[in-house]
Amino acid sequence: MASGTLLLQSVLTGLTNGFVYALIGLGISVVFRGTKIINAMQGEFALVAGLVAYLALRTFEVPLVLSFLLGIVAGGLVGWFMEAFFISPARLRGATDDTFLLVTLGVAFAISAAVLYFFGRDNIPMPGLGGNGSLDIFDAAIRIHSVWLIVISISVVTLLMLFYHRTHLGLSMMAVSIDADGASMTGISVPRMRLLTFLLGGAVGGLAGVLVAPLITVHYEMGLLLTLKGFAAAILGGLLNPSGAVIGGVVLGLIESIAVVTISSGYKDVISMTTLIIIMILMPNGILGRGGRRGG
Amino acid sequence: MLNDEFKGSATRRATLKTIAAVASMGPVSLFAQQEPIKIGSVLSLTGPGAGLGQPERSGILLAEKNINDRGGVGGRPIKILIEDDGSKPDLAKSKAENLIFGEKVLAFIGPSLTASTGAIASITNAEKMAQVTFTGLGPVIEQSYKMLYHVLPPQILNARAMLEYASKSAKAKKVGVLHDTGYGQAVLAGLQTLNASYGIEFVSIERFEVGASDVSAQAAKVRASQPDLIFVIATSPVPFRNARQMKITQQIVSAIGSASYDYVRGMGEFADDIVFPEFMVGENPLPRQVEFVELYRKANNALPKNFEAAGWDAANIVAKAISKAGANASREAIAIAMRDPYEGAMAKYNFAAADMTGIELPSFIFSRLVQGKFTRLTFTAS
Amino acid sequence: MAVKPLLIGFSAITAVVVWAVIPLIASRSSVDLLVFTALYSIAGIGVSFLLGQCGIVSLAQSVFYGIGAYATAYGCVHLGWPAPISMALGMLISAIIAWTIAWPILRLSGFFLALATLALAIIGQTLFVEWDWITGGTLGTGGIPKLDFFGWVLSTPQRFYYVIWPVLGVILWMHYSLLNSRHGFAMRAMRDAPDAALTLGIPVHALKVRVFVLSAVLGAFAGSLFAHYVTFVSVDSFGVSRGINFLLIAVLGGAQTIIGTVFGALFVTLLPNALSKFGDIHALLFALLLVATVIYLPLGFAGALKQLLLKAIKSGNASDSGQRVEHKSKSGNTL
Repeated sequence: MASGTLLLQSVLTGLTNGFVYALIGLGISVVFRGTKIINAMQGEFALVAGLVAYLALRTFEVPLVLSFLLGIVAGGLVGWFMEAFFISPARLRGATDDTFLLVTLGVAFAISAAVLYFFGRDNIPMPGLGGNGSLDIFDAAIRIHSVWLIVISISVVTLLMLFYHRTHLGLSMMAVSIDADGASMTGISVPRMRLLTFLLGGAVGGLAGVLVAPLITVHYEMGLLLTLKGFAAAILGGLLNPSGAVIGGVVLGLIESIAVVTISSGYKDVISMTTLIIIMILMPNGILGRGGRRGG
Repeated sequence: MLNDEFKGSATRRATLKTIAAVASMGPVSLFAQQEPIKIGSVLSLTGPGAGLGQPERSGILLAEKNINDRGGVGGRPIKILIEDDGSKPDLAKSKAENLIFGEKVLAFIGPSLTASTGAIASITNAEKMAQVTFTGLGPVIEQSYKMLYHVLPPQILNARAMLEYASKSAKAKKVGVLHDTGYGQAVLAGLQTLNASYGIEFVSIERFEVGASDVSAQAAKVRASQPDLIFVIATSPVPFRNARQMKITQQIVSAIGSASYDYVRGMGEFADDIVFPEFMVGENPLPRQVEFVELYRKANNALPKNFEAAGWDAANIVAKAISKAGANASREAIAIAMRDPYEGAMAKYNFAAADMTGIELPSFIFSRLVQGKFTRLTFTAS
Repeated sequence: MAVKPLLIGFSAITAVVVWAVIPLIASRSSVDLLVFTALYSIAGIGVSFLLGQCGIVSLAQSVFYGIGAYATAYGCVHLGWPAPISMALGMLISAIIAWTIAWPILRLSGFFLALATLALAIIGQTLFVEWDWITGGTLGTGGIPKLDFFGWVLSTPQRFYYVIWPVLGVILWMHYSLLNSRHGFAMRAMRDAPDAALTLGIPVHALKVRVFVLSAVLGAFAGSLFAHYVTFVSVDSFGVSRGINFLLIAVLGGAQTIIGTVFGALFVTLLPNALSKFGDIHALLFALLLVATVIYLPLGFAGALKQLLLKAIKSGNASDSGQRVEHKSKSGNTL
């Protein structure tokens, strides 16, 4: 049953990769929900978080889980920094959507270049949750860390859904992007909500980073590659809907994996990108459709 | 955490400066005041090719210092002007033009990547200038450039070395291939021309783009084809990790471009049971390599590998040719003076050969990674 | 005020004189960089026009740039065709592909469209690598002949410089004419008041497609010229980062003007070279400068210049009237 195993293996790999894309897409979706800005540096949160976790682990000998948490905090801080020192000034000077895109893109380049300068071009390996152990499912392998990744991603998405729809803070954050003036009239501090949005987006990106680092190693170009996939995931799911981003990410990961195994590995990107374009044209509201827009 | 190479080069620069300061005092001062012989070089110091360019530069600088310490060439010091092409052929061409027409260098060393070689070679060829490049003989057009000399083997020879080991030492019949679209593609072309003559069948050939962060799907496909051993050809440690993570237990055979200490570090605990046909195992050098390895270790506190050795050889080859033709010779005369056999630290060359490289199979050393350390195998190809 | 046209005329003549003199005094590598500036400007104008007049963010220009380059490389090297025919072929192929893709894709809007163009850039990059029987894959294609005009070969950067910048000038002039024509009016209507445009019977979608095709043809043209300049093409030059570069040129220059593209191209071409003297940190410096420029000059260089000029003219007017007021009060009238 060689091809059965292969197919199963590709599904497992696709799921793992898919949830990584989903987490990045989730972050992009969070930022978009709160500020209507497309964040081209979302992947850099992951890079910074991965690095901070590595430094904590190797230099300061902090235990693994705590290192991961520090990474997430670092991601959030970078997000806050972005909004306070780059996005806000740009907004004050009359920035358009394209401007924000280029600002975030420029910062993405800057962070990548800074990491290259200070840390070099090596791939930095990170240990995962559950070490290097892997589960055997009918001769197909999935790392224990990957299982954790999937479980944590699903939990985070659920929590975010609840946050946005059941808590006052979450509703306020959404309100600010829908109608900033109206929101401030009801006493919501618009600047504070925007800061919190980026903080949250940064933290989610950081989470993606610490979870993915043990699988793909920390590398100065890691952010840009992740952002690309995250965009695709978010769009597939319909930008406004975080849970849509998760579905979009998983679908993307599976398409890639299965395409490699069934069609050809060289054309993997052509297939996934063409699928993306087709879905965007045929289903402008993402896979979840109009109903998805309302949902969590 | 700070870029170790950066620190190393700062130390090296300090060393060079001190030596220059000392040399400029006393009776040697006349030497330092002589008009230096200028040699140009373009390398990939940043970008994807930096894994090649940085070690090449290390080797070149060490050679430059060594040559100047011994009195230079014809009583004059040499000065190698090194520029970065950022791994981009357009930039390579611009920098090369500046060195050739602006600085009026006598000979040229580099670049690190095949595409950049193509861009620069048309200029050096038109100017009848010697170019010693770190890429193997590539596209057909390079064969018409009679002053373009290569210090690295053509990919077909690398492919042959891999097949030699696979068939004669590992006795494999079925081989799986996992390769990237850049370096891997080039070597694969050679492999596919030769494998039949070694009785080896490629039961799977999977590719991924350069710089891919995860190639598990492709690795799984290779595993499913049940090969006797696998070839992994890439300029990144990622496919090696993924291969082992996907439970490929067979031996991995790779190529010279993947044999670097950086990649070994990136492979982490998966740096085991990987065989490389290469030229330099610093832990266990051949007799003709000992001098260079010792000098390098003292200067940089690290062991050199293939590309550092290639850089060292290139600089020495140019110096020797200038010495033979005379420091006031024309560029063309210097280029012609290079067309001889040369025994370098990395390999034995013969620039009069048809492929303008002259490296033969016996020059290859086969190394095996054992738990993160390179060991030299006794197997040799003939 | 008669001053304004005089000022413009004077500065234009100075600019042309300076331009003509540069290759005679500057180093070869500087002239080389200026040639690249012109090449990138041509491709950048396509992106800029698309962005400024239609509001479309396109990251796909690198694909058409590549098609132009590979078409002329293949035509001249493998088929032995003369350069103009190979170049025309490249532009034709780009136009057809652009036209075919534009119809479905331009129905998307905003970020979706931008992402679709990014997806195109990725697909293009992959195909350039995969279809190595045309492109030579990662080894590339070399030996592309230099352009020659009845024996005068463009073999040095200086010669190419004296040809490419006038060509750029012609393209700039063509775009200005387009802007001031009926089509230009239609485009402005489409951009600023889409509903009104529809009621006026302007075929919005068809217009967008045409501009997209025009942009693609410009990209292909620039790509073929590039191929004949460097005589060697390989996939590294036609990837997503090149597409991002072209977009940068358009936005930095200020997409509302056309000449701004040239400023954007100067920034993107000259600055990294100047910064490389700082060593390994130059990438970081460039990125930071980029961010600063985008934040503080949201209208791009040309936009900022325009504002400066307007301010200068306005304050000139104000000081005139200020003097008149003072004059009046001096004559004793109370106000």
